[in-house]
Amino acid sequence: MLKKRIVPVQLLLGERLVKTVRFDTHRDVGDPVASSKVYSSQDADELVFLNIDREGRSADRLLRLLERVSEVCFMPLAMGGGIRALADVEALIRRGADKVVINSAAYRDRDLLAQAADKFGAQAVVVSIDVRRDLETGAPRLFSDCGRRAEAITLEEHIRAVSDSGAGELLVNSIDRDGTMEGYDVPLIAEVRAQSRVPVIACGGAGNYTHLKDAFLATDVEALACGSLFNFGDNNPLRAKAFLGNYGIPFKKI
Amino acid sequence: MPLKSCVRCGLPETYETIQFDEKGVCNICSERTFRDEAIDWKERRRQLDALVATYRGKHPYDCIVPFSGGKDSTFTLNFLVREYGLKPLVVQFNHGFLRPTLLANNERTFKQLGVEVLSFTPNWKVVKRLMRESLIRKGDFCWHCHTGIFAFPMQIALRFETPLIFWGEPSAEYTAYYSYSDQEVEEVDERRFNRWTNLGITAEDMAGMIGGDFPLDPRDLAPYTYPSVRDLKRLGCRSVCLGSFVPWDVKRNTQEIMSELGWKGDEVEGMPWETYPYEKIECYMQGVRDYIKYLKRGYSRVTQMTALDLRNGRITKEDAARLIDEHEGRKPPSLRLFLEYLEMDEQEFNEIVRKTVVAPHVPDFGAEWAPMTWDFDRWHREKATHTDGPALLDSPSKSRD
Amino acid sequence: MGTVGILDIEMGNLRSLCNAIDSLGVDSRVAREPSVLAEVSRVLIPGVGSYRAAMGNLTRLGFVDPLRRFAAAGKPVLGICLGMQVLSTRGEEGGAVPGLALIPGDVVLMEPDSLRLPHVGWNSVSFRSPHPVLEGIRDGKDFYFVHSYEFRCAPEHSYAETSYGRPFSSIVGVGNVLGVQFHPEKSQRNGLQLLENFCRWDGGC
Repeated sequence: MLKKRIVPVQLLLGERLVKTVRFDTHRDVGDPVASSKVYSSQDADELVFLNIDREGRSADRLLRLLERVSEVCFMPLAMGGGIRALADVEALIRRGADKVVINSAAYRDRDLLAQAADKFGAQAVVVSIDVRRDLETGAPRLFSDCGRRAEAITLEEHIRAVSDSGAGELLVNSIDRDGTMEGYDVPLIAEVRAQSRVPVIACGGAGNYTHLKDAFLATDVEALACGSLFNFGDNNPLRAKAFLGNYGIPFKKI
Repeated sequence: MPLKSCVRCGLPETYETIQFDEKGVCNICSERTFRDEAIDWKERRRQLDALVATYRGKHPYDCIVPFSGGKDSTFTLNFLVREYGLKPLVVQFNHGFLRPTLLANNERTFKQLGVEVLSFTPNWKVVKRLMRESLIRKGDFCWHCHTGIFAFPMQIALRFETPLIFWGEPSAEYTAYYSYSDQEVEEVDERRFNRWTNLGITAEDMAGMIGGDFPLDPRDLAPYTYPSVRDLKRLGCRSVCLGSFVPWDVKRNTQEIMSELGWKGDEVEGMPWETYPYEKIECYMQGVRDYIKYLKRGYSRVTQMTALDLRNGRITKEDAARLIDEHEGRKPPSLRLFLEYLEMDEQEFNEIVRKTVVAPHVPDFGAEWAPMTWDFDRWHREKATHTDGPALLDSPSKSRD
Repeated sequence: MGTVGILDIEMGNLRSLCNAIDSLGVDSRVAREPSVLAEVSRVLIPGVGSYRAAMGNLTRLGFVDPLRRFAAAGKPVLGICLGMQVLSTRGEEGGAVPGLALIPGDVVLMEPDSLRLPHVGWNSVSFRSPHPVLEGIRDGKDFYFVHSYEFRCAPEHSYAETSYGRPFSSIVGVGNVLGVQFHPEKSQRNGLQLLENFCRWDGGC
């Protein structure tokens, strides 16, 4: 049986990892390579690295990091942040990434998704979708460019369009819940899960293991991503899985 | 809603790595059963003999024994010297809170056994800053101690070219990061260090976390840094627990060091002193540590001690419940010293700890004070006298009951 | 144990596998042409992607016969993911594509009932019979899979199975040739143990 996954998300700003709150403010949460070694020792299911530096958007920083991380982490690695060209995707995959995470480019250059999927397989192409709920209606609104640019397309249309273009997985992020540690936006996760024919990783809001339990039990989501949970609070992936195991949620045993 | 807990030992679901089987028995209990019934301890002892033979006499010391002076490290040191006549280098990392009984025990132990001892004390100002950061991020202020105790002796192993390192109790005795049922000898290495010991924070991580507001010299975090795996491999390093080769029996171990070395137990804040005088006597911040655990997880040291006794069939459930009810969760007098070190008041402390509470537990911040231990007045004070200091929500009782 | 040859058939990422072998302290060489096979004592065939493209590249690079001779000489061969699949007799991908035929069997599209393809993530590997390359790995542990096709072979050639909708062979082997459907270089401790075992294996079983 395929297991559920818990995926630590590591946000890269310059040479350090940071954590944001609602995509704003930055708090240092460690060294990227040391942190990856820690997650590796803690048998994390997979690691996602996102370069959130709004100035330095080239893939170089990711490549340099990947070089070092892939020497010490032998688990699936997903890299994203500023990926705009097939050459970036190629460079990352050759350097050891299993998946690339594409956000802004997915709105205007779906050809990139198709080319990447064609060359490396759909499972290597993760489309990341950042969502803020409309203040009046509560409807999900999509944003690109690190949460700065509002996109007109609806959630449902975008999910369909990117899956048709070759995305093999979706990473959905609640900007509203990001860093708040108040729990996932479970209705959003359920909505995305229902509309997506590819696996979904949901992110944004995990503050304790009960939040993960609630999201896993209420939806069919394949994976839950965590940023703050493992940085603030006496938590690690092993403890999370032990706790969730007591509620029947299956994780890998190694 | 009450926490799920083990039907045999009582440990709750907020206990790290705990898992319950269909009968409601926890994995810590099952591992203990495995340990007692399925491990060939004669074979393990043979492995120990072989290990000792491999390293004996070939290096400046036969082995490193990281040492706190608690019952486990004292038992380990005594065992190795008595059973094998080894020449160890005893390595102590001074976390900053060593108590008088412990120091007297250690002096007696070292002189009776005749061993060489290195003791290291880190920079107290750095320690205070680390305690604060660690408390805020993890709800556990002991990062400097966890990392110092496990990283520093490895550095000494390299410096003194002594590859064999003996720790005491395997973590499989009390958590499931490692399992007896995996039939392997627990390697006390960098993986274990990162897996749980360092709370998921390395020295490289910590440097960026405190470097912004603290005048940090890059060398200040050296004592907490795990040395390179490459260097350790080159030395042929082997870092193991004595408890992987000899079945760990806490009561028997304690009896042994009491009778052979005159080791003495001590009062620990928040504990029933007559029943458990031998546990966690090393550190005068133990009370605060246990109190924070109680706030975060809804159980603490008394539950852990009775769990061990329940697992061993040494206590009834009724007596366990009574001890927990009478002693657990009280506020330790040392809290006021802790607040002084970290320059915070109790309100701020509570807010910080509240953020790290482990769901589904809901904390209760209104505990009574625990009695003071006999040596309370000897513990380090920064500036305040006994009567003034950081704002507390109420005052500790001056009496000793 | 000699040097391990890691075939570069220009499909997928080699880097992780090379890093994994390095981390074990084993010498390795990347083989981009058949002459390298003479210099190594065992071969790893990694790959992710299409059977047709892989066999196309193997043919174009001139690896097909040299690999068959290498295997016939009794030297250990380990195929990983697509690398395992091309060890088969044939692959069904828009028509039949002949494979290396080192392990009899067919590679076909999975039919996991209502479950989605590709099969991606951590899944359990249950041993059917012992093998030196599985030494020290406990039965039923999870490994990382990424594939849409499965290897169908005779039961005596299937060393382990995994369930995704239905059971499929996750480890296949004949003599000194072995294939694993999962990625050991992405499967943490157990994956590294398997690679280490392979590096020590003399090819007998």
